[in-house]
Amino acid sequence: MSLYRLESLSVAIGGRVLVRDVSLEIAPGECVALAGASGSGKSLTSLSPFGLSAGRIGGSAVLDGKELAGLDEAALRAVRRDTVGFVFQQPLTALTPHLTSAQHLAECAMQAGGPRPDRAALGDMLDAVGLADPLTKLKRYPHQLSGGERQRLMIACAIAHGPRLLIADEPVSALDAHLRGEIMALLTRLRRETGMGLLLVSHDLASLEHHADRVLVMQEGHVVEAGAAQMIAHAPQHAYSQALWAATPNLKSALPDDLPQPGAALVEARGLTVRFPGSGLFAKPMTAVDGVDLMVRAGEAVALIGGSGSGKSTIGRGIAGLGPVSAGTVLWRGEPLSAKRTRDQRRLIQPVFQDPLASLDPRWRVSDIIAEPLVHLRPDLTSWGRAGLVKKALQLVDLDGALADRLPTALSGGQAQRVAIARALVAEPEMLVLDEATSALDPLVGAQIVALLKRLQRDQGIAMLVITHDLALAAQFCHRALVLDAGRIVEQGSIADLVNHPQAAMTQRLVAAS
Amino acid sequence: MRRIALPAAIVALIVLAALILPALLPWSHDAIDWDHVRAPAGSPGHLLGTDELGRDRLARLAVASRITLLVALAAALVSMIVGIAWGMVAGWAGGRVDEAMMRIVDVLYALPFMFIVIVLMVVFGRSILLVFVGIGLVEWLTMARIVRGQVMTLRQRPFVLAAQASGAPVRVILWRHILPNIAGVALAYLTLTLPGIIMIESFLSFLGLGVQEPLTSLGILVKEGADDMDVAPMGLLVPGGVMVTLLVCLTLIGERLRDRFA
Repeated sequence: MSLYRLESLSVAIGGRVLVRDVSLEIAPGECVALAGASGSGKSLTSLSPFGLSAGRIGGSAVLDGKELAGLDEAALRAVRRDTVGFVFQQPLTALTPHLTSAQHLAECAMQAGGPRPDRAALGDMLDAVGLADPLTKLKRYPHQLSGGERQRLMIACAIAHGPRLLIADEPVSALDAHLRGEIMALLTRLRRETGMGLLLVSHDLASLEHHADRVLVMQEGHVVEAGAAQMIAHAPQHAYSQALWAATPNLKSALPDDLPQPGAALVEARGLTVRFPGSGLFAKPMTAVDGVDLMVRAGEAVALIGGSGSGKSTIGRGIAGLGPVSAGTVLWRGEPLSAKRTRDQRRLIQPVFQDPLASLDPRWRVSDIIAEPLVHLRPDLTSWGRAGLVKKALQLVDLDGALADRLPTALSGGQAQRVAIARALVAEPEMLVLDEATSALDPLVGAQIVALLKRLQRDQGIAMLVITHDLALAAQFCHRALVLDAGRIVEQGSIADLVNHPQAAMTQRLVAAS
Repeated sequence: MRRIALPAAIVALIVLAALILPALLPWSHDAIDWDHVRAPAGSPGHLLGTDELGRDRLARLAVASRITLLVALAAALVSMIVGIAWGMVAGWAGGRVDEAMMRIVDVLYALPFMFIVIVLMVVFGRSILLVFVGIGLVEWLTMARIVRGQVMTLRQRPFVLAAQASGAPVRVILWRHILPNIAGVALAYLTLTLPGIIMIESFLSFLGLGVQEPLTSLGILVKEGADDMDVAPMGLLVPGGVMVTLLVCLTLIGERLRDRFA
């Protein structure tokens, strides 16, 4: 007997039908996953039947023998209170900042009318989701927990009242790669133990094969392919599923062997150290980067890999001359770069940031954004000369010249990132610092950006420092990788060596997660 | 934007009346009609009547509105320019410079404002210019704090870092990247300071420290009206009504702009 069944579900917002004709069935203890690029309607499909989105639903949604379509808000609230649990993407924003773990758990456990649990019972709940030292963690506030611990707490809250169905909307997307596998394994164990159904929304396709029973691939609001997870992972039928799978980097595909040969040493950092003043009166300064040595040769792509807070972005900014450096030197072709970079030195290294929209001034037109480096770094150019170079830069990143007059808000995420890359390229730098340049994009768009970077690497011979948390992404176009943990380099070598013989614990976790 | 339309139209109407009426009326604000002293409202030739010196109340109201709006606008501009400049420098520089600049703002906040204005008046004599300067110099404090906070968040944004990477000098970054992005917030706050300044100016004039006769302002008219209200209540109600309408409309506009931009 099925626990949850959707029959030709549709969701409309303001008269526009955004999801149509979705049918699925979840048995107790089973996991069904919705996969697809952003904007494909995955979240709407999972949340709308419970009144958690602005959408109006049509069709039928039956939970535990009860029809949800047409229920009023009070009845939906009763359903959410008694039989369903929810886990969201951002554990920090989904938890209430001034409540401790114990208060969160007690509230969730009592929401369906249960008695107030005692300390031991609360500890057991945290223990069940794999939190180490549960009795101490009960007194902590959300900001005192790590990202993985927060997500475990949120899962503990979601299942505290013993729901029959758990809805998990991108539960691991905001976490570091090595935590994702652990959280997915936790969800799998919980549903096997309690017989609860799991509706999972994810674009982390690599993990679905192991953690979901069935997968529905969605594109633009409808299901293009559905079937057993194993089947879809190994032999996707629909062209869109194939593209989606191909776009997800994984280490199983062969490493590229056609990377260009690197030349002489280009940039070199020696003993790079960055300390930030601690907050509070007696706080000690925090060492974010601790004596890092690294070198990038001409035409070489070097990956800087680590979890959040490992100091990788701080290193990138220090090398690009955009952030503070407390000690150590940065050399360019053997000559030290001054702390305050001159114009000529600025031109050599250009950055590309994670969030493409935030990296473009919302009030500037695309053509002005791309021309900005030329204005300052090439004062010899006339406005005609600048316009010509801007046009060339747009072509280089495969953007239509008609976009030049648009404002950043009128661009898609992929287009905005191409504009950011065009701005970085227009002054003809010799090296790019790519700070998580694809991780804010959905997998299909991210793959296009990676393809663009590979082409730039091959045709322009440009060197790259690739800052990422994703070893599989780095494996696609990097020669070497440095693994960072807590501001220190714990391991470095060719990608193949790191993947096949990881030595440091951090590297092993990164490899296992990819 | 629709919700801004009505208060904006009312303010525009008052501004227009203040600008045009004095030219249309046969009486100037300080001309005395000896034949009609203390004429009631609605008398021929004097729509709102005349005051105890025989001066036309409508002409005085128009000139008073003009002066009050002028003082408010000039003082608001002074406060905006000083506040934005101070806030941008403090927010961008950070560290000790920021600490020092913001402590100065804190100290100025702590001084009793009325006392400063009175001291200025006593030292430099009474002039309308001094009213502008005095009010503007106090009103910039909050603007500086708001702008500083905005700049501190903006300077961490990737597009500002990208501008630094592209070799833009600090003054260009402040002028072309930071300023346009705080303009909305600053403008909304400017609209919110206008009613505050009108209140201060009226209060000073009511005390006799602000605008001096024969020039007039809404505060002076309210004071005269209050002295006379048992015989001629309209002398208090009409300028008071204009002032309240202005304050309410400007506050509404400011709050709606703030909701939009901040």
